[in-house]
Amino acid sequence: METPEPPDDELVRRTQAGDARAFDELVVRFSPRLYGLVYHMTASHEDTNDLLQDIFSKAYRSIKGFQGKSSFYTWMHTIAVNMAINFLKKRNRRKTMSLDDVDNGILNDPDFIEATSNGDPSREANLGELQKKLNESMLKLSHDHRAVVTMFDIQGMPHAEISKVLKISEGTVRSRLFYAHRQLQNYLQEFINK
Amino acid sequence: MDNEDSITKLLRLKRYEQPPEEYFQNFLAEFQARQRSEVIHRPLLQIAWDRFSSMFVMPPVPRMVMASSFAAALFAAVFVLSWADDDDTPTSLTLASSGAVRLDSGVRPAPAKTGSTVQYVLPARPVSYASARSF
Repeated sequence: METPEPPDDELVRRTQAGDARAFDELVVRFSPRLYGLVYHMTASHEDTNDLLQDIFSKAYRSIKGFQGKSSFYTWMHTIAVNMAINFLKKRNRRKTMSLDDVDNGILNDPDFIEATSNGDPSREANLGELQKKLNESMLKLSHDHRAVVTMFDIQGMPHAEISKVLKISEGTVRSRLFYAHRQLQNYLQEFINK
Repeated sequence: MDNEDSITKLLRLKRYEQPPEEYFQNFLAEFQARQRSEVIHRPLLQIAWDRFSSMFVMPPVPRMVMASSFAAALFAAVFVLSWADDDDTPTSLTLASSGAVRLDSGVRPAPAKTGSTVQYVLPARPVSYASARSF
């Protein structure tokens, strides 16, 4: 019988008491999710890898100051978003993503199949084009808008959680989403109306 | 609204942009190696400072307790200072060995009675005795 995984709070307490292995467990638990968050903001696997290392290092250094006023999940996301935004501000160049980075799992997604096929062979041929356009559109958004879109649309976080992470009101989250979606609609018009 | 849904659906596709599974298996090892190298390459001064500051690590104190302690300390400081001021108030008083007394504050000695100790009387009625409504 498998022992249940300890909750985040317990791992945090153990880390604060000096148990480095507890933090390793938190790294394993949070790295896939935070990877997605950072990657969709930076659009580069290489930058994401470096940044993710920095994020966990910072979290480890500051974990003694974590008082549990928010959940550890929110705390980690706040560190990740702030560091990603600071990184983007410093990075003047904008990398375009390689289509080789796209995972093949996308081909099995029903939404993707629906969006790209619908019995129209020309749209199937546009698969690569759609991916490219999606990524380019994301990069055209401001850092703040990109963060909100990443958390809400890609990661599926609720408005309330995003407002805690970014320390802004839910109204501001909704407003940023509205404007970001409107911008994206303009960029992706050809894929929406067909 | 349809456009909104389409955008959401399209963006959801980006969830699949994940690195291969091995990446996350290696990530922890890479992180640990980096942590170790950071510890090794940390300047001695920083290590010494960290150790020194860790000696003074206090458990988190609620804000209310912090504020009341500060207020109590402030009150005590004010009280002690005002008490010290009161002690300094009496002006210089010199008692000569001959029994002559010199006072700088306008207080003069009462006529000495033989066989009794020196007594002091005020030159006038104290201000606090005067009526507040005197015209």
